[in-house]
Amino acid sequence: MKHLPKHLQPRWRYLAVAIETWPDADLNRRSFQREVWYATQNLLGDTGSADADMTVLRFTHEDGVGHAIVRVRRGHTEAARAALACLDSVDGAPVGLSVTGTSGTVRACEEKYIRGPAKGPEQRQVVFETRDRRAVARDGRVDVATDDGFVGATDLDI
Amino acid sequence: MYEAVHARPDGPSTLARQVETAADYGFDGVVVRNHGNEGQPDNIAAVREAVDVDVVDGVEIRADDPAQASGLVGNYRSKRTLVVVHGGDSAINRFAVENPAVDVLAHPMAGDGDFNHVLATAAADNDVRVEFTLRPVIQGEGGSRVRRLRGLRKLRELVADADAPFVVSADPRSHLEFRAPRELAALGEAIGFDPDDIRSGLAEWGRLADRNRERMGDSYVEPGVRLDDS
Repeated sequence: MKHLPKHLQPRWRYLAVAIETWPDADLNRRSFQREVWYATQNLLGDTGSADADMTVLRFTHEDGVGHAIVRVRRGHTEAARAALACLDSVDGAPVGLSVTGTSGTVRACEEKYIRGPAKGPEQRQVVFETRDRRAVARDGRVDVATDDGFVGATDLDI
Repeated sequence: MYEAVHARPDGPSTLARQVETAADYGFDGVVVRNHGNEGQPDNIAAVREAVDVDVVDGVEIRADDPAQASGLVGNYRSKRTLVVVHGGDSAINRFAVENPAVDVLAHPMAGDGDFNHVLATAAADNDVRVEFTLRPVIQGEGGSRVRRLRGLRKLRELVADADAPFVVSADPRSHLEFRAPRELAALGEAIGFDPDDIRSGLAEWGRLADRNRERMGDSYVEPGVRLDDS
């Protein structure tokens, strides 16, 4: 179909989203997009989610950290923020996320709010709660594997 | 703005990790509200020394009946800066709002708990903060979330009518359950709160901690009366 004249094209805002999970979680763009749609529809309903029209454009996730760019219709960013706050897990894996910034273009969003590739994680053996355990460390944050799942810790706890 | 958290052993993340996440998300401080029977992190003072944000030692008292709760409040009042009562039961809710030694009544609408105008007035008279917990909105789904939203709405109307003090929290059990203040304000707006109320509810934890620290100081005698060295 012929594209719309400029003044009729929808205006978008791009939200930079920082994602954090346990190191063993496996997320991809599809599963994240599905959860975004569920969260939006559950919180805002059909009308609200059609208005916000949230689409995940960029998505990377590896070893427990990642980021995404979510496109939202201009004027609905606060509703989109609220819906994203309700996104608590993807395929059963708990997810922590925060909106680090919003921009009018994807490029500005990437340049301003998405930090370059984080330093790769480091596998370590640590002593945590008097036992020797396997852990994944990055920037002073340490996810320690225990008998009942991961424990989030920092260098202060080791 | 402050967030009130459950740290290991009452959750899968240590206090240090929660505090680091809080600092990242722009909170000014963290209140430790581990359930009294789950144990307390043993390094609160060390973490407070090591980080830029404030760390407040608190406790969330979980009791089966008001008599037991009363004993626990008496026990913890002099030891902890903040005393929170785990609400969600009509008898416990009533006990908490009628007891000036209690700082915060947590999630009064949880479980089969209920709240009414009498309790709201008592909370205002005794200066007991009522907590609006956003946790069930973030973590829950389906019918149970609808019920909790209905409870939040009722509580909001009662608290506003009685002009009772309140706090807001997402009640995170791990660093992944944290949400930034701006997200919480947006979420509050989506479910009918004034976003400024959400921000002031988050900040109220800090005001409460400052007040209690002053009261626990050596120079404090009673409201308006203090010992002066000079």
